[in-house]
Amino acid sequence: MEFDWTPQDQAYRAELQAYIRKMLPAGWRGYDQKDRAAYKTAAKAFASGMAEHGWLTQNWPKDYGGAECSAWRQAILGEELTPIGEPRGSQYMNVNWIGPAIMRFGTEAQKQYHLRRIAAGDVFWCQGFSEPDAGSDLGSLRTRAVRDGDDYVVSGSKIWTSHVGIADFCILLVRTGAPDSRARGISVLLVPMGHPGFSTRHIASLAGDESHYELFFDEMRVPVSWRLGEEDQGWEVVRWALQYERVGSTQYQRAALQLAETAEAAIANGAFEDPEMQSRFGEAWAACQAARMLTLRVYDLREAGSPPTADSNLSRLISTDCLKMVAQLSAEVLGLEALDHEGPAVDAIRNAALAVAAGAAEIQLDRIAMDFLGLPRGK
Amino acid sequence: MQFSLNEHQRQVLDSLETLLTRRAGRERALELIATGGYDHTLDAALADAGFLQLSQASDTGPLDAALAGVEVARRLGVTSFTASALVAPMVLGEVREARVALAEAPAAGPVRLGGTAELLLVLKGDEALALETGPDDWIAVDNNRAGYPLARLRDGALARARSLGPGSGARLRDAWRVEIAVQCAGLIQGALELTVAYLRDRRQFGRPIGSFQAVQHRLARLALLAEGARWLALEAAYRDARPDLAATAAAFAAGGADTVFRECHQLHGAIGFTREYPLHLWTIRLLQVQRELGGPTRHRRDAARMTFTAPEVLALSVAPAV
Repeated sequence: MEFDWTPQDQAYRAELQAYIRKMLPAGWRGYDQKDRAAYKTAAKAFASGMAEHGWLTQNWPKDYGGAECSAWRQAILGEELTPIGEPRGSQYMNVNWIGPAIMRFGTEAQKQYHLRRIAAGDVFWCQGFSEPDAGSDLGSLRTRAVRDGDDYVVSGSKIWTSHVGIADFCILLVRTGAPDSRARGISVLLVPMGHPGFSTRHIASLAGDESHYELFFDEMRVPVSWRLGEEDQGWEVVRWALQYERVGSTQYQRAALQLAETAEAAIANGAFEDPEMQSRFGEAWAACQAARMLTLRVYDLREAGSPPTADSNLSRLISTDCLKMVAQLSAEVLGLEALDHEGPAVDAIRNAALAVAAGAAEIQLDRIAMDFLGLPRGK
Repeated sequence: MQFSLNEHQRQVLDSLETLLTRRAGRERALELIATGGYDHTLDAALADAGFLQLSQASDTGPLDAALAGVEVARRLGVTSFTASALVAPMVLGEVREARVALAEAPAAGPVRLGGTAELLLVLKGDEALALETGPDDWIAVDNNRAGYPLARLRDGALARARSLGPGSGARLRDAWRVEIAVQCAGLIQGALELTVAYLRDRRQFGRPIGSFQAVQHRLARLALLAEGARWLALEAAYRDARPDLAATAAAFAAGGADTVFRECHQLHGAIGFTREYPLHLWTIRLLQVQRELGGPTRHRRDAARMTFTAPEVLALSVAPAV
């Protein structure tokens, strides 16, 4: 047990920071997502520039565009990019778990086709998971994929999907088993956006312009060769991928940066002089630091090749707790200023939304109770 | 960066585990309560096996002493082990094979494991004071036969203390905070393990109480506190009680301890308040440790001030490139 970054890891972080400073203006805190084309162009330029330097997928195998470094490179990437507003756009998902899922479960052809693109930093993905009647209860999803020769015919819809407006591909969960087969009858398909029979609808959202979409599948035909993993075995892919999704965007560091900026505002306007306020800042800071350790723990398990554990649920839960604490402090320190999106305020709505994404906090609590503490299942 | 134990750490903890299984645990803790005592037998066994040297040995350090301290607390040792093995070396620069207790000037209040202490380290503003003490220096406190034995220092005894020099106070404060975090981490873990085991077994309404979601979510929250407290305590020890990390670790652990006390007793129902059921062995100690050095509020304020009013400290944790 030791908690130091290696000199190589530190050098990597320094290179990354220099690149960020070169590419982004001082104080940059995220793209304006209203102009999707401009957003996509800028995010792609940022990510492909990283790829050119070999910084995007360092922990991947050499065969797929990586440098075979440790999983810790992923944590460093997240720590540097998530807090300032993710200049890669939705590509963090590719590198964190979509790529690794293809690496683990994909055919050679899928690996050759997708991994190169992901490692080059010029492809965007979205994930078609939730449905109108399958949110937290993902295992009840109903979008059907019926086998017809060498194709599946997909019918149904998805909802709450993020990043659709800039996506090139969708990682899609479909039911290939019997309607009541739950987790035993789900498969994963890798589908290009705009494929015949595939349409989308934007849903205006308080949580950001690219937060919510609906996806519709009207007898969409896709070749069986686009299936990731075995038929009906998709749940294993999901379970494996979700543990990385939960830690993928490094929310503890985002919360810590927001807290630091809120503290700066509190010191400037005098609110920090209140001892009660100091105590609450200290409490929130301690939670952010605990979240950091619990998240790094998940990377450690990943580095050790561990199967999914409930540590990722602990990480996600405490990280979203932190974001809510910070948002509340920001509101108290800044008053109505906290509602001005141009100002230094924390986006309380987006912070609250993150406790719903990647499995609602209540699902994280369920998983911790049963998988981490070994409590018996309810009725 | 490696969160798992290395081979040497595993060996150390395995041999500690064997020792604690023989010498510590619930039965032993209940026995000691009956006699009102400090566990001299356990203390001697820990010293003989070399555990006191962990933080100063060539191949181990404060992290290893903290790892051991967490286990000693979790297994209910009534010993000043962590103060002796972790705090004293940080403050004195060497290991003293002595029972060490910690107090804050004017040292009038109850001191955890005070009555049997041989060396008392006192935090007095900017300075730490060291006082060699014997049984005659202490007056036992009635602790309702629960928790660690407490004692008050007799009036005037502090006059014999010697100062460890300017700046030694901050060092003692930081090291003590790590000790608080280590104690809380072990005690929270022990209380949680007992509570989870009880709720898996205890049946009401025809099913284990622990299968009710309302109960499960509360326990899951405690798991978060236990894990967070543990990792922050270990990190603070690893960083040799860096002031901001020590305050942060103590803030999280002592703040969590309050919740763990309330929740574990609530979830147990009436049996948790009996002397024959062991829950109090962990929870009352938690309450004691949790209140030291001003309790969570002071740890939190210090963590906030140390972090947010010193850009160079903040930059150690949050330094965005733009």
